Amino acid sequence: MKNVGNANYVQIDHEIQTHENEGAIILPSPEAYKRFKWTKEYFEEKPKEGYFIWVRKSSDRPLVTRISISSKNVSQNPINLVVIEENVNAEIYNVCNALKKNLCGNHTGYSKIILKENSRLVMNHFHRWGKEDVVNSGLEISLGKESEISEVYKCLEVPMEMKMENNTYLKEGSSANLVITILAKEGEVKMHDSTFLNGRESRGISRMRMIGDKKSRIVAHSRMIANDAGTGHVDCMGLLLAKDSSINAIPELINNNKDASLTHEASVGKISEEVLNYLRSRGLTEDQAIDLVVAGFLGEEEPITIEGRIVPSKSYM
Amino acid sequence: MLEIDNLSVKVNGKNVLEKINMEIKDGEIHALLGPNASGKSTLAYTIMGFPDYKVTEGKIIFNGEDITDLPIEERAKLGIATAFQNPPSIKGLKLSKLLEKISRREVELKENDLLKREILEREINVGFSGGERKISEIIQVISLDPDFVVFDELDAGLDIENLEKLSSLIKSELYNKSALLITHRGRILRFLKPNWVHVLVDGKIVCSSEDWKKIWETIERYGYEKCRECELRSDRP
Repeated sequence: MKNVGNANYVQIDHEIQTHENEGAIILPSPEAYKRFKWTKEYFEEKPKEGYFIWVRKSSDRPLVTRISISSKNVSQNPINLVVIEENVNAEIYNVCNALKKNLCGNHTGYSKIILKENSRLVMNHFHRWGKEDVVNSGLEISLGKESEISEVYKCLEVPMEMKMENNTYLKEGSSANLVITILAKEGEVKMHDSTFLNGRESRGISRMRMIGDKKSRIVAHSRMIANDAGTGHVDCMGLLLAKDSSINAIPELINNNKDASLTHEASVGKISEEVLNYLRSRGLTEDQAIDLVVAGFLGEEEPITIEGRIVPSKSYM
Repeated sequence: MLEIDNLSVKVNGKNVLEKINMEIKDGEIHALLGPNASGKSTLAYTIMGFPDYKVTEGKIIFNGEDITDLPIEERAKLGIATAFQNPPSIKGLKLSKLLEKISRREVELKENDLLKREILEREINVGFSGGERKISEIIQVISLDPDFVVFDELDAGLDIENLEKLSSLIKSELYNKSALLITHRGRILRFLKPNWVHVLVDGKIVCSSEDWKKIWETIERYGYEKCRECELRSDRP
């Protein structure tokens, strides 16, 4: 295996390495399932692969995981469990990718994230795939009382087929700020994102940023469900860059509590002539103007901090 | 610097400007006054080359070059810039990112009530107040280091103190630049003191004069209609 730097969990095809981090236990999921009986509560069955991260103390050093496909026709099935203990702050970077473009890999991953009372998690999740890959991704986040999560998911190179299902459950006083950013080109993406406000004063924000480029199709369901007196906002924004691309954005608000407040905002369209002409009046060509708007829409390039060094996530991948 | 020669303009098939003539020399500031919907902003967009503004007659000469058919970005590269009255919001794009791309000179920002540095890290015009929109436009224009600037309704939505601050920023950062100052309120005239003033009514220039004070006093007293028969009219457009 190549030296992959300081990642705490590295899985290339099915080969695994782990490196401990201060305040956290990092193990392959099958080993954690065997070693800690309590994990059976979260793993539905014995996992074959994937990571287990148990953060017991706050640390300034972020945890980094990487799951890569490097050989042809590999089928991965990582089952991941992250547990953040009470009053603990943590930061995690996840990278899942294909190291080459033509590997015909299959990545079917499922992650469960448990935040205990008054804990905080900043999570950045980056995907990058080859055109021939198939990806199925599931994520379940459970927030304890007064806990907080900020989760950014970004995939700027989609496979030919990608399905994602995310479910976030919030208890009293907890908050979730979730951002999904997808740039689809020659691929199909189906997303189901649901946020359940199950506690008083819980706060959920779900933002989807989607760009449809050549021969792409994105279907994005984003639901905010209030079962208690919380506040929630769904924001779905789509930009279409090519004639043969389509985005189907479906924001949905379900309010089962009269004291809850849910709002949404949604728009799908091309970049307006007004914006392009405005940017051209600053001396940019139309192509430069489009690139700038798209780059802004996709958000800043989040850096990864490793051993005190700031590394752009792109170069890490 | 800029010559507008017998210019007529249609927007969405409707004649908006008719036979406009104007010559703005190096370092001169001209003001264009007129009531709402008289065609002032149409002239701004036409000078900048926006495609919906169709020149049906006449031409625009900039530094001796006929730019009537040049695309927007080419005009910008030649040194024409506009501070727009109603610039669009651009979600996701921070002002600082745009400035990184377009700047031809550094802008030194001294913070005051009007100018807060944090505006640079906000998405362009998203949730901006009227004053923030103006300051964002002026920062962009200054960073472009243009030879000629169109200020479209710079004084709209600004209180008198902030208008004075904005005017003094323009005077210090765009010193000696040629400009066309579009306004229907006239408050900005006493801060920027134009060399010439023109009055546009119903798409036609009905009055031009070097004496901006008298013109503005007349407009304040009698309204724009009086300019049609103004005795201060000059031969020089």
